[in-house]
Amino acid sequence: MNKSEVLALPSMPLQSPTYPHGPYRFFRRQYMVISYTTDAVAIREALPVPLEPAGDTVSVQWLDLPDGEGFGAYSATAQIIPCTFKGEPCNFVSQMYVDATPPLAGGREIWGYPMKFGEARLAVDSDTLTGTLEYATERIATGTMVYKHDAFRTDYSHEHELLMRTQVTLKLIPDIDGTPAIAQLVAVKFSDVAIKGAWSGRARLELIPAVNCPLADLPVHKVTGGLHMVTDMTLPYGKVLHDYLAK
Amino acid sequence: MTPEQILALPSMPAASPSYPMGPYRFINREFMVVTYETDRELLRQAVPEPLEPNAEGLVLYEWIRMPDSSGFGDYTESGVVIPCVLAGEAVNYTAQMYLDDEPPISAGREIWGFPKKYAHPKLEVCSDTLTGTLHYAGQLVAMGTMAYKHRVAPGGVEAQATAMARTSCNLKIIPDVDGSPKICQLVGYNLKDITVKGVWLSPARLQLVPHVNAPAADLPIKRIVGGRHFISDLTLPHGRVLFDYIKDRGGRTQ
Repeated sequence: MNKSEVLALPSMPLQSPTYPHGPYRFFRRQYMVISYTTDAVAIREALPVPLEPAGDTVSVQWLDLPDGEGFGAYSATAQIIPCTFKGEPCNFVSQMYVDATPPLAGGREIWGYPMKFGEARLAVDSDTLTGTLEYATERIATGTMVYKHDAFRTDYSHEHELLMRTQVTLKLIPDIDGTPAIAQLVAVKFSDVAIKGAWSGRARLELIPAVNCPLADLPVHKVTGGLHMVTDMTLPYGKVLHDYLAK
Repeated sequence: MTPEQILALPSMPAASPSYPMGPYRFINREFMVVTYETDRELLRQAVPEPLEPNAEGLVLYEWIRMPDSSGFGDYTESGVVIPCVLAGEAVNYTAQMYLDDEPPISAGREIWGFPKKYAHPKLEVCSDTLTGTLHYAGQLVAMGTMAYKHRVAPGGVEAQATAMARTSCNLKIIPDVDGSPKICQLVGYNLKDITVKGVWLSPARLQLVPHVNAPAADLPIKRIVGGRHFISDLTLPHGRVLFDYIKDRGGRTQ
């Protein structure tokens, strides 16, 4: 393969790139978001400066992604910390667990989504919308929510605002000598968001302490509610908000 | 978390870095390597310039069992290595790698550019047969079998340790957040503190099944040369840039 073909590759490996060039369109992307109050000091420690905390409510989310262009079918669990950057409301994605390489490698390498391999599942079990996460064979998180209790709502403006909020990630890529090559806060904004349905209702959440999957480091004080959404949306490239290596 | 703490992090996520700082020590790392001859033109296409593939058209298909790896844990790997030449030096180019553990996938890709994907490789002794299999996305894509410890390799453990110290190289590609290439390099590294505990040559066979996302069979088997089985302790250190594609084009590197 010649040098210009190498430079045109979207990703490793050369013979079968893990992910193609973006942007990436998702269809029937389903969310269960469970919000809860936690320890304000733990939030401050988990947020990279210059992000500022915005209250003491965070969330653990389950995502079922049956049709992600370039990525396939997979599931994810994420922890989200609402914050501000220079006064703008943002969501810091502090942890994320997925069960497929293309979104794992693409997520880390393009945007700095902090993905690790974990087995997430979001499904309707009898009368309960149920999210589970297993990491290294152990159950780490269990979320449950009532199923479509407010079935006839048509105003999704609140959900639209939530989904359009800027997501922020901390992208860290080492150089070959082990020194940092990339250390940036990255901003990602979904585009072409279509909400197919959204439901809110009662929810419960259990997080079990685990060193390599430390969702429980932001302990659950009180669950404030659950939000269930089905959407189509596009994940575009991002932009650098802050460069820790800039001189 | 302060900028100083962030710059001292070894990896994402800040809440529990996937991998610690290197180097990385491996104990009782067990290899089964089946060498075969393939199509020279296809081999040429699989190797990035300025690397040159070996003139004999040889490919190494490997399984590696790693029960005790500092920072990474217990995992298994399988993949394709192509002996190459770079500026007159013999190097081993890693073309494909499949493994069942996230920290070495992320560290491998992000530090050295190992072309790693998540899959389910297995290496075990089944009755009289050293057996390697690789399942990708639910399908069997590779099966290697080797007779068990038929004879000690000529030169023994010392010759094997010397061979393992040869430079290995990878094509490291990391995109920028806007999708343009941020890092595009040939990267080289050398294993060190290598202790080989045994090395054996035996007859071997290999079956590769065509699969679009795990395309080992894109380098078809024309002839099996043989199997090599060895066990060693070794250290994987950081490496160095051998060739920078962005700089070569006149671009600015990070």
